[in-house]
Amino acid sequence: MSEITTTPAQLSVRHLTRHFTTRVPGRLLHAKRVVRAVDDASLDLVRGQVTAVVGESGSGKSVLARMLARIIAPTSGELILEGTTIPAGAKRTLEYASKVQLVLQDPYASTNPVHRIRHSLERPLLIHGAKKHDVEDLAKAALSRVSLDPPERFLDRYPHELSGGQLQRVSIARALCVKPDVLLADEPISMLDVSVRLGILNLLKGLCDNEHLAVLYITHDIASARYLADEIIVMYAGQIVERSRGTALVDEPTHPYTQLLIASVPDPSDPTSQASQSDEHSSYAVPEVGCRFAPRCPFVMDVCRTTDPPVFQVGEGHTSRCWLYADRPEAVVEMALPERRREGETTKT
Amino acid sequence: MIADPLKTQATSKMMDMQLREVAPASAHHEFVLEVNNFNVDYGVGENMVRAVNDVTLKLRRSQVLGVAGESGSGKSTLVYAMTRLLRAPGVISGGDVTLNITNDGDSDEVTPINLVTASEKELRQIRWSHVSIVLQSALNALNPVLRVGREFHEVLKTHRRELTKSQRHARSVELLKMVGLNEDRLARFPHELSGGQRQRIMIALALALDPELVIMDEPTTALDVVTQREIINELNELRSRYGFALIFITHDLSLLIELADEIVVMYAGAIIERAGASELYEAPRHPYTLGLINSFPPMHGDRRELTGIPGSPPDLAELPEGCSFAPRCPYAMARCLHEAPALLNIGDSDRSVACWLHTGDSSVTVPVELSRSSSPSRAHVTVLQDHT
Amino acid sequence: MRSLRLPRSPKVIIGLVIVGFFIIMTVIGPWLAPYDPSSTAFAPLLSPSAHHWLGTTSLGQDIFSQLLVGARATMVVALLAGLAATILSMTVGIAAGYLGGWSDEGLSLVSNVFLAIPGVPLLIVIDSYLPVNSRSNFFVIGLIISLTGWAWGARVLRAQTMSLRNRDFVEAARIIGEKRTRIMFTEVAPNLLPVLASSFLFTVLYSIGAYVTLAYIGLTSTAVWNWGTMLYWAQANNAPLSGEWYWFVPPGICIALVGTGLALVNFGIDEFINPRLRAGGLTARQRRQLGLPRRIRLGLTPVLHASSKPKIVPAHAKLVSQ
Repeated sequence: MSEITTTPAQLSVRHLTRHFTTRVPGRLLHAKRVVRAVDDASLDLVRGQVTAVVGESGSGKSVLARMLARIIAPTSGELILEGTTIPAGAKRTLEYASKVQLVLQDPYASTNPVHRIRHSLERPLLIHGAKKHDVEDLAKAALSRVSLDPPERFLDRYPHELSGGQLQRVSIARALCVKPDVLLADEPISMLDVSVRLGILNLLKGLCDNEHLAVLYITHDIASARYLADEIIVMYAGQIVERSRGTALVDEPTHPYTQLLIASVPDPSDPTSQASQSDEHSSYAVPEVGCRFAPRCPFVMDVCRTTDPPVFQVGEGHTSRCWLYADRPEAVVEMALPERRREGETTKT
Repeated sequence: MIADPLKTQATSKMMDMQLREVAPASAHHEFVLEVNNFNVDYGVGENMVRAVNDVTLKLRRSQVLGVAGESGSGKSTLVYAMTRLLRAPGVISGGDVTLNITNDGDSDEVTPINLVTASEKELRQIRWSHVSIVLQSALNALNPVLRVGREFHEVLKTHRRELTKSQRHARSVELLKMVGLNEDRLARFPHELSGGQRQRIMIALALALDPELVIMDEPTTALDVVTQREIINELNELRSRYGFALIFITHDLSLLIELADEIVVMYAGAIIERAGASELYEAPRHPYTLGLINSFPPMHGDRRELTGIPGSPPDLAELPEGCSFAPRCPYAMARCLHEAPALLNIGDSDRSVACWLHTGDSSVTVPVELSRSSSPSRAHVTVLQDHT
Repeated sequence: MRSLRLPRSPKVIIGLVIVGFFIIMTVIGPWLAPYDPSSTAFAPLLSPSAHHWLGTTSLGQDIFSQLLVGARATMVVALLAGLAATILSMTVGIAAGYLGGWSDEGLSLVSNVFLAIPGVPLLIVIDSYLPVNSRSNFFVIGLIISLTGWAWGARVLRAQTMSLRNRDFVEAARIIGEKRTRIMFTEVAPNLLPVLASSFLFTVLYSIGAYVTLAYIGLTSTAVWNWGTMLYWAQANNAPLSGEWYWFVPPGICIALVGTGLALVNFGIDEFINPRLRAGGLTARQRRQLGLPRRIRLGLTPVLHASSKPKIVPAHAKLVSQ
């Protein structure tokens, strides 16, 4: 089933950048520092596909998700929703909210403790034009869609009466109430119990496969990204350092950071996997020039400390921002766009 | 992997301790901790909720015991109550906890101390010197207005009164080196350090008085994978050098399988399976354990759909009748809904499981995935090497 | 609401009883009053008797009737002022805290100015410019008092809102496209209920003080009876000096009682609204039943042995110490 389908991206971002200016603690005047939270990120979210962004805390992955939801404004770069370019300074509209929705990490924190579940579901429905006498039925339908059955049992509960997994389903249902085309999920399982995580992942996968939503899955857990994603993107210190279609990135990581990340994952099936240990455990300051990973990189070369590496093509649909691959062709645009192969057979067996 | 722990203990424990018990050396000196039929409740009377139900376990010297479980499984309550650190409304409602502490110099002699009946003064002497605890959030555990060095000085000043100021400083520097930190960190405030560095400092503080038992409650959950890996490696190295026993609590079973010698899996306040780490992974016996193992997406091989465990962890206040896992269990039988299975040894091995599938009843067919055999465990091999 | 339960603390119950009593007095006081409080039909300066429970004034008015009738004006003005001040401080505080930036700068400046100006002198100034007929109007007086009493609440609410502003549920509301005003008043404000309630109680308390003060110095209409005007007349006729205690002590006690009642109710607000706060420990009764020490110290989990009669195992019981 390796037919090539031309799927235009539902939501694309080009060269999206966000810098924060912070004051250096301890110094009162003049000492300002620019934190490059996200630098020159470009990606496409396609209907029926899950794009995973993997990174540690501070990698900029959550800022990226919030820029895509347009609740944080980018410093520069543009968003393209259904082919329409949205300029950087434009205000977020209700229409945008109805197309792109974000699910937050902590389900306990993201539902208002003083309101019943009903409120969480009926508000988005009312805001986005549902008739008042329909909302109850629509809210029930939304709960059924996320497998909270029977919905009547949940509508009049308070958030603290539900478990974390149930509450995260409510959060997803709330996002679905506005009938979005793009669903952004910021670490949706990291606060949940291990035994209910797969349920949420499968729910996201189902929304993507059956209802053709474009899903962005933000995570620090590369194993879950491998499980879920059609495209995996690894971020480090605000930059996309490696990306691949399918699981190539996990199976054959090329960037030293991705390699370190994968070696660090506890893997009982492979008892020999033990990441090499570095000696000085200070936090690595991100250098102003050169490759951002250079201070931690075991393969660091002179060029890495002076020049930011471009993106090289290391395989089909697989790119890496690392000087080690300087013999490979440079990737002109980050990924081949907008055509892409739908790899049906590798995602499901 | 494990150096002779008793010898290390004997040489490095140069400080005298105030507790001097006349009780005879116990025959169980191989165990550093013995917990028998331990129960912990929250509240009393009608509103009482049993959070830890009849837990029995033993921990050998220098071994790592992993406690795995989800939220509400009672894993944290167990260790807090064991050390009498659990806050009200927690109440210990039965059982005892014996800590066999070594007297200095003479490693063969141990003094059993029942933590359940110990007085506040005795607990104060035992804590930190013999048992120390590392909590999940190092940021909350460190005083934000004190420089890190002060924390070390305070601990050493309280428990090692004979040390001079410069000796205390020397020991602090030594401790930081142990966990791979530069000595200039002593002059920092907690907020100036990264999460990983703070957790290393907590570990260094826990090891400051050379305890025999260290308890860690989700010490790496708040950290990034790479930092977690560094800390786990560090811990393994420290353990092989200093030979303390470790209780490591986490929800991350795959991490435990790598780290622990033995693992107990808790569900709804009770231990439902106990086994050597690799045995547990290769041949789980309890359906919950199997479900947990299958809840971690693999890093290798074909992608296939995993199902996890249906439903959510039970509310301790409304536990179902019979086996508390039965409502979520794909193998549940009629019996499981009425009678709670006891934790029983299975076969000739040293492992136990609380499940009606494994009571030897010939009318019950055990599913293949719950009756796999395991290769000789890694932990077992390590122990053998130690004895030679 | 499920989370609302009857309070158990005796402090709160006493407070509620006191406040409840005065609220009933507000409603039915004027009907209960045996005589017209302004009527000068009686002999002056009578001591308390069966006919005149609290005696009469130097003009021959019944003091008990004045006290009952005066309760209504005092309480109504105080409640009105408390309500108005709370609405004002809620609007300003939540808006400043949620919007931030220039709105915050401006609104904070205004509330700081009002905080810095001493309330009662400002009241006196405003009040003395009022036309005399509006001095008897409850609403006008209430609003003026609320003007000087809202700023403190606004500061507290602003700080609380700022800590709520970055909470995930507020962000979630923004993500679904909720409007700012709605977020402020349906998402943020309900979470501030304990603070709002507490701020309301204190502004009511303040308003009673302010209203009584204004009346006492003669700046409200003497045609309206309240506890302050009673004190004003008592003072003007040298009642304290001539030992006519029944003239000025009863209104004083009423003022003190209402104040005490409000303060006691305030103790219970957190407990009342947030039952989770209560679950923090065993109740005193539970501890007594268990024979546990009155104060359970940190780092010493109580031990309870499963015998029929629960009691704590004495320390040292099994330890052989030297």
